[in-house]
Amino acid sequence: MSPADEMMNCDAYREMISADPTFDGGAGHLSQCSDCQAFRTEMQSLNVKIAMAMQIDVPVLAIPELPALDVENVVPLVAQKRLSKPAWFALAATVMLAAVIGVRMFGVGITEESLAEQVLAHVDHEPAALQVSDTPVTDAQLLEAVPADIARLDHTAGLITYARSCEINGNDVPHLVIQGEHGPVTILLMPEEAVAEAVSLDGANIHGIILPVGTGSIAIVGAREEKLERIEKSVLNSVMWST
Amino acid sequence: MAVFHPDMYRYAAWLCRDKAIAEDVVQEALLRAWKSLDALREDAAAKQWLLTIVRRENARYFERRRLETVDIDNLTASQAALLAEAPNEELNDLREAIYELEDDYREPLVLQVLMGYSTDEIGELMGLKQGAVLTRLHRARLKLKDNVAQEERS
Repeated sequence: MSPADEMMNCDAYREMISADPTFDGGAGHLSQCSDCQAFRTEMQSLNVKIAMAMQIDVPVLAIPELPALDVENVVPLVAQKRLSKPAWFALAATVMLAAVIGVRMFGVGITEESLAEQVLAHVDHEPAALQVSDTPVTDAQLLEAVPADIARLDHTAGLITYARSCEINGNDVPHLVIQGEHGPVTILLMPEEAVAEAVSLDGANIHGIILPVGTGSIAIVGAREEKLERIEKSVLNSVMWST
Repeated sequence: MAVFHPDMYRYAAWLCRDKAIAEDVVQEALLRAWKSLDALREDAAAKQWLLTIVRRENARYFERRRLETVDIDNLTASQAALLAEAPNEELNDLREAIYELEDDYREPLVLQVLMGYSTDEIGELMGLKQGAVLTRLHRARLKLKDNVAQEERS
């Protein structure tokens, strides 16, 4: 009998077999416990019935009228400066200069278009982040997602309801979500990804921007209706790279 | 994409518990998948990619509509259609019990039983740790087991 089997009692075994009726651990316990053998049989039988009950009829696929696929325009991206007010010129000049220095020092691993595509694809692939919520993440979750050696973040960015460390272009990227007026707004802190100037993002129902910040950049993506300027300011004010 | 249509439809139907809405959600998901086909890096990941899009479209639908809580005694025709096809009374009772499970319990169960996902894969799709997935599946099955026992007694 393996050590794990020795430690397994009826409660632990039943929890596992009811969570996954194909669970094949706990053989030692199972061989000595007729009650758990019966429970296992019952769970496996129930599982077969659940599968049958879930098998609903599927209607014939009505192919939607699909637009012509134009690969060139799947993710239309227009690299342009959006910052126009005087104060923003000053800020933009500062971060642009830093970005240019950063680019010269470290080089740019991917093009801005590719980075923008990765950002949009990432937002599209993480639906859990897009739930409307008024529950803030804990300080521990926030610290885990935004380690002190990557960035320091104060609490002025907004109500952060999602925080997770993700990967963009092979680098760890804190992925945060705050709640905007029209739904969740995604913020990706990308200290390793330099962009020379602000890059507009334009997805199917979302829009956003990648802002150059120091030697890295910050992506902000929200619903099409969301006005991002205020969020951009508060995010820029609340984030400081650690490196 | 048509190969995955049955999985997409069944997943959507059990998520939203309404056959008509499920068809809308799948149509939207197919359109969205088509438009962003270049984002699919590996063919082997197609099913998970499509189910992720279905999940997101379903969330969008309910964000837009703010539908009321489903009362199983007052279902619309489209909701009731989901329950009307079971081949026998026992399965019909079980289908109703699945229908009444909370979303948090029903979704991982559908992913595991119908889609064949591992608990790791379910966690990835739902943004949960494996322990949380196991707990939800355990509770879901116990609820269904109790429900079956109750039906047998009555």
